[in-house]
Amino acid sequence: MIPAIGPILSAVDPSSALDVVTKGATGASASTPTDFGQMLTQVATDAVSSLQKGEATAISGVQGKASVQQVVEAVMNAQENLQTAIAIRDKLVAAYQEVSRMAI
Amino acid sequence: MIDPLQASLSIASSGLEAQSARIRVVSENMANSESTGATAGAAPYARKTITFEGEMSRAVGAELVKVKNIGTDRTPFRIEHDPGNPAADQNGDVKLPNVNVLVEMADMREANRSYEANLQILKQTQGLVSMTIDLLKG
Repeated sequence: MIPAIGPILSAVDPSSALDVVTKGATGASASTPTDFGQMLTQVATDAVSSLQKGEATAISGVQGKASVQQVVEAVMNAQENLQTAIAIRDKLVAAYQEVSRMAI
Repeated sequence: MIDPLQASLSIASSGLEAQSARIRVVSENMANSESTGATAGAAPYARKTITFEGEMSRAVGAELVKVKNIGTDRTPFRIEHDPGNPAADQNGDVKLPNVNVLVEMADMREANRSYEANLQILKQTQGLVSMTIDLLKG
């Protein structure tokens, strides 16, 4: 499982309407039920924190305090987390819109 | 629990750091292959050696590699008769470092290959991860 998805998906309440999206992906039982908005917030926060870490490492690399390898690893990690976050957001927003377009 | 692909990235990254430390030691030996002692009869630069060891990382949940020790080579120094050298002793013999440039070259090649191998692992793993993420798109 992609690490950035794991905690987010397991944070979603499996009994909610998003069950279809998360089913099969969550091995662990959900700890605290959160709603859709909170989950998106968490996705964004995770992405931002890993981006900040990557940026901080890049800066210390420029200052000569971190090795090239460390900088590359941190930036790659941040990029990967951001890509994951964006992909999940796109997918979930699409699902949400699908629900809102549902004929009543 | 950590993603195995993420763990591979960290492991390969530790390999890169270890091999770059090795290259550093080799370049030190190469640069000092003719460094004599500062005073008459003093010992010259002694060749440095590097050893690695596995290190269990709890954060990664896998065995990383790290530099165990940077030691000195105990093989005897080369002795050359050069009375004009400031580092020559009473007999006119100069102690030269126990560095064999050919050995260092071979070691550097090996470090180079190892570094490339770890880079390849990084590249392949990164490709797999982004391909997996791409499944969510489109």
